[in-house]
Amino acid sequence: MSPLRRFLRTPEAVAGAILLAALIAMALSASLLFPGDPQAITGPALLPPFQDWSLPLGTDRLGRDVLAELFHGARTSLAVGLAAAAAALVVGAVVGTLAGFAGGLVDEVLMRITDAFQTVPSFLLALAFVSVVGPSLGVVVIAIALGTWTGPARVARAEVLSIRERDYVAGARVIGMHPLAIAFREVLPNALPPVLAMSSVIVAAAILTEAALSFLGLGDPNRVTWGGMIAEGRAVLRTAPFLSIVPGIALVLTVLGVYLAGEGIVETTAVRRGLS
Amino acid sequence: MTLLAVSNLTKRYRRGNKTIAAVDDVSFHIDPGETLALAGPSGSGKSTIARLALRLIEPDDGRIDFEGGDFLALSGAALRARRARLQMVFQDPLAAFNPRATVARVLDDPLRIHGIASRGERPRRIAALLERVGLTADLAPRAIHEISGGQRQRVAIARAIATKPSLIVLDEAVSALDVSVRGEILELLLDLQRQEKIAYLFISHDLGVIRSVAHRVILLDAGRIAENGDARTVIDAPQSAIGKALVAAAPRLNRTGP
Ligand SMILES: Nc1ncnc2c1ncn2[C@@H]1O[C@H](COP(=O)(O)OP(=O)(O)OP(=O)(O)O)[C@@H](O)[C@H]1O
Ligand SMILES: [Mg+2]
Repeated sequence: MSPLRRFLRTPEAVAGAILLAALIAMALSASLLFPGDPQAITGPALLPPFQDWSLPLGTDRLGRDVLAELFHGARTSLAVGLAAAAAALVVGAVVGTLAGFAGGLVDEVLMRITDAFQTVPSFLLALAFVSVVGPSLGVVVIAIALGTWTGPARVARAEVLSIRERDYVAGARVIGMHPLAIAFREVLPNALPPVLAMSSVIVAAAILTEAALSFLGLGDPNRVTWGGMIAEGRAVLRTAPFLSIVPGIALVLTVLGVYLAGEGIVETTAVRRGLS
Repeated sequence: MTLLAVSNLTKRYRRGNKTIAAVDDVSFHIDPGETLALAGPSGSGKSTIARLALRLIEPDDGRIDFEGGDFLALSGAALRARRARLQMVFQDPLAAFNPRATVARVLDDPLRIHGIASRGERPRRIAALLERVGLTADLAPRAIHEISGGQRQRVAIARAIATKPSLIVLDEAVSALDVSVRGEILELLLDLQRQEKIAYLFISHDLGVIRSVAHRVILLDAGRIAENGDARTVIDAPQSAIGKALVAAAPRLNRTGP
């Protein structure tokens, strides 16, 4: 059976894939469907949803189109989530591979640094970093990655420790391959599957962290973010709850979608490796 | 001139709170184009000697001279360059290659690393290597796990001879192969030795095979040399207790061989 068909057999994975596809479609079509500044005022303030079909989800306190904000927010969530997760996975895989492959003092030093990062709660780390450096999209990405690379680093190191004892690594040394080439060309690719298996959880956590930072006013001020929308809506929670509920639901569905689709992929590849 | 001279080689491992000598004050030499066999019971230190000679692990004591130079004094780029002359073939040809590799990549690596052929020239060299070990060039794009065990061991030999070594360490290199394939691989090894004057450090527990391919043999017992001498002489009339035990345990000594 093809991996795709096996993937489609699990209803959770399909639900996840649909949610994720919707999110990606929103992010990609945001500037087509809602060209111009999503933060521009387009109508009366606090228009409730489903009243005016040119503004289907109504407007916020300042009269901005909620649907446009939602679409542009999807873009920020996705971009930050993917970029932060990618940075965390790359840094983690490289650090873990170096530590596991080099052993000795290098391993000791790298793992102490990993310990140090791991003892600080990752959200606190992100908060402190953004507060010091100042909020912008790139800083938020780095801030989130700062707290998440340790997990992939540990998993990569454990995997590398077992792989480096294999004959083919000795074989690579015998033909005179450079140790760095052995670590990154021969060992790392074979250590990646369990590291990549963590990516769905990491992306989901990164999206949540970005929303939380924005909620606290530490997101990029020039971009619409769901966390920022929820924070905005909080001021009028009693009179216009939809302003917080709509981006809140979008956030929950996104995190759920990423998680379910990711688990589906891991499941499918795990089954395939188990069979061969 | 001797090719490889090992003197007073010692390697100790900690086991619990006491240390055991896996290799204990071992000295031997190999001449160019010669086959020296290492035999002995399981755990007697054969693989440890192989790994020491290849600088995959470092000895606690002793000296290794290879091609007239102090081999243990080499490090970094100088050691990697010298490795071209001292190659190895492993027992399990599947474990010996990166599971993601193709035949072409496995053979491309040594040619590239040692600057033996330019990028454009390498495919031709790879084809020639494959033909030299009795395979066809159309095997090159295949994945390592797609070819048979015998073909894989031929690829391992092709990789070992790619850098024109003077010595190849064969650690149970034919033990995992079935009998007919084993004969063919031994034939190939003997042919390479005749043509290119390659010396072998030939590790095997099969005294019949050793008797038919090796010039000299060393019998090891618990990390020490128990007996050594001309392969046929030692195997036909062992003097040491361990030699007698090994010969007695050999199922049937094939005295004709290839
Ligand atoms: N990395 C290691 N750590 C601890 N002890 C080791 C290590 N490598 C080898 N030894 C020990 O050294 C001794 C010699 O092992 P070695 O692998 O050289 O034996 P061998 O003769 O190749 O055996 P076999 O015929 O089973 O392959 C054994 O007692 C083994 O347990
Ligand atoms: Mg062994």
